[in-house]
Amino acid sequence: MMGPFEMSTALTLGFALLFGFFFGLFLERGGLGDPHKLTGVFYLKDFTVPKVMFTAIVVASTGLYLLSDLHLLDLEKVWIIPTFFWPQLVGGALFGIGFIVSGYCPGTAVAGLGEGRLDALVTMIGISAGSLLFAILYPSLEGFYLSSDMGAPTLPKLLGVNHWLVVIPVIAIALGLFVFLERFEKRRRSA
Amino acid sequence: MKQGKFWSPYVAGAGIGLVLVTMFYVAGRGLGASGAFSVASCMTLNAVASGFANSLKYFSQYLDTPSPLMSWNVFMIVGVLIGALTGALSTGNFKMMFDKGASMTTRTRLIMAFSGGVLIGWASRLARGCTSGVGLTGGAQLALSGWVFVMAMFISGFIFAAIFRRYWS
Repeated sequence: MMGPFEMSTALTLGFALLFGFFFGLFLERGGLGDPHKLTGVFYLKDFTVPKVMFTAIVVASTGLYLLSDLHLLDLEKVWIIPTFFWPQLVGGALFGIGFIVSGYCPGTAVAGLGEGRLDALVTMIGISAGSLLFAILYPSLEGFYLSSDMGAPTLPKLLGVNHWLVVIPVIAIALGLFVFLERFEKRRRSA
Repeated sequence: MKQGKFWSPYVAGAGIGLVLVTMFYVAGRGLGASGAFSVASCMTLNAVASGFANSLKYFSQYLDTPSPLMSWNVFMIVGVLIGALTGALSTGNFKMMFDKGASMTTRTRLIMAFSGGVLIGWASRLARGCTSGVGLTGGAQLALSGWVFVMAMFISGFIFAAIFRRYWS
C-alpha cells in the first residue's frame, strides 16, 4: 500500500502521540535528556549528540528514498521542510547559542524533564516565553521572516542528481565521522 | 562518564531514524518539538489576555483554528514526555533534581536555563522549527533547510562554547 495515508483527525493525533512516545523513549535511552552530554560535543567531551543525530538522519533518509523507489511512498505527498535561507541560517546560529547556554533543545528539554530535571522545566518555560516574544515582535520581523523563500528544495533537486548520489555520500561521511569519533574517544580514554 | 547506563547512541539514533521513516510513510510528515511550545504560549496568553493574544498576527495561525491544542505538534510533545518518563522510570534513571554545570550556582543555572530557553524559542520561530522539526526531519529529507539549520547550529555552538566553557566544561 502506498503511503502516506488519509486519516481522520483523531487517528492522526493518536499517531502523533505514539510517534512522540518512541521519539521520547529513544532520546531518553540515548542519554539526550542530560545537559552535560548535550553540551559535551561543543567541549569535545561527549559525542552522543552527533552520533544520535547523524545515525537518525542516515537511517531515515535511506528509508525515505528506498520506500519512494519501491513505490511504497509517494514523495510528492510528504511535506518537505521549506527553505527560507537567511531566516533559517540566522535562526540556526542563534539556536546554537541558546543550546549551549541552556544545555537543551526543545525535544531534549522534555526528555530531561522526563528524567526528573527541573532545570529542563525552566528551559521549557523559557522556550514558551521566547515564542511569545517572537509573536510580539513579529510585525517588525515579518519582512526578514518571509525573505529568501526558496520553496522546498532538496539537495538532490538543487544539484540535479539522483537522490542516491547524495544519500550515499552522506552515509559515507557519517560513517567516517563515527570511526573518527570512536578513535578519538579511545585515544583520550587511554591517555 | 557512566558507561552502560544508556543505550548505545547508534541504537538510539537508529530508533529515532526508524520512527521518522514510519512517520513519513504513515502520515507524510515528520518530527516537531518547538511548535508545541509556541501553541502553549499562545493558548496561555489567550487564557489571561485574550484581546492581546488575538491582536498578535503570528498567533492567528493557531487562534483561527477551531481547537489549536488538538494538533500534531501538541500531541507529539505529550508523547515525548510520556516516552522519556517511561524510559527513565523503567531503568531507574529517574531522579528529581536541578541539574547544572559543576561550577554553576543555582542562581546562574536558573538564569542560563531560562535565557537559553528564550533564545531557543525565539530562534525556532524564526527558523520555522528546531533540531527535531528542521534539523532531523529536514536533514533526513535532504532538504536544504535541514542542512542549513544543522550546520549553522553546530558552527555557532562551537564558536560560542568558548564563552560558556567555565560553566559547562
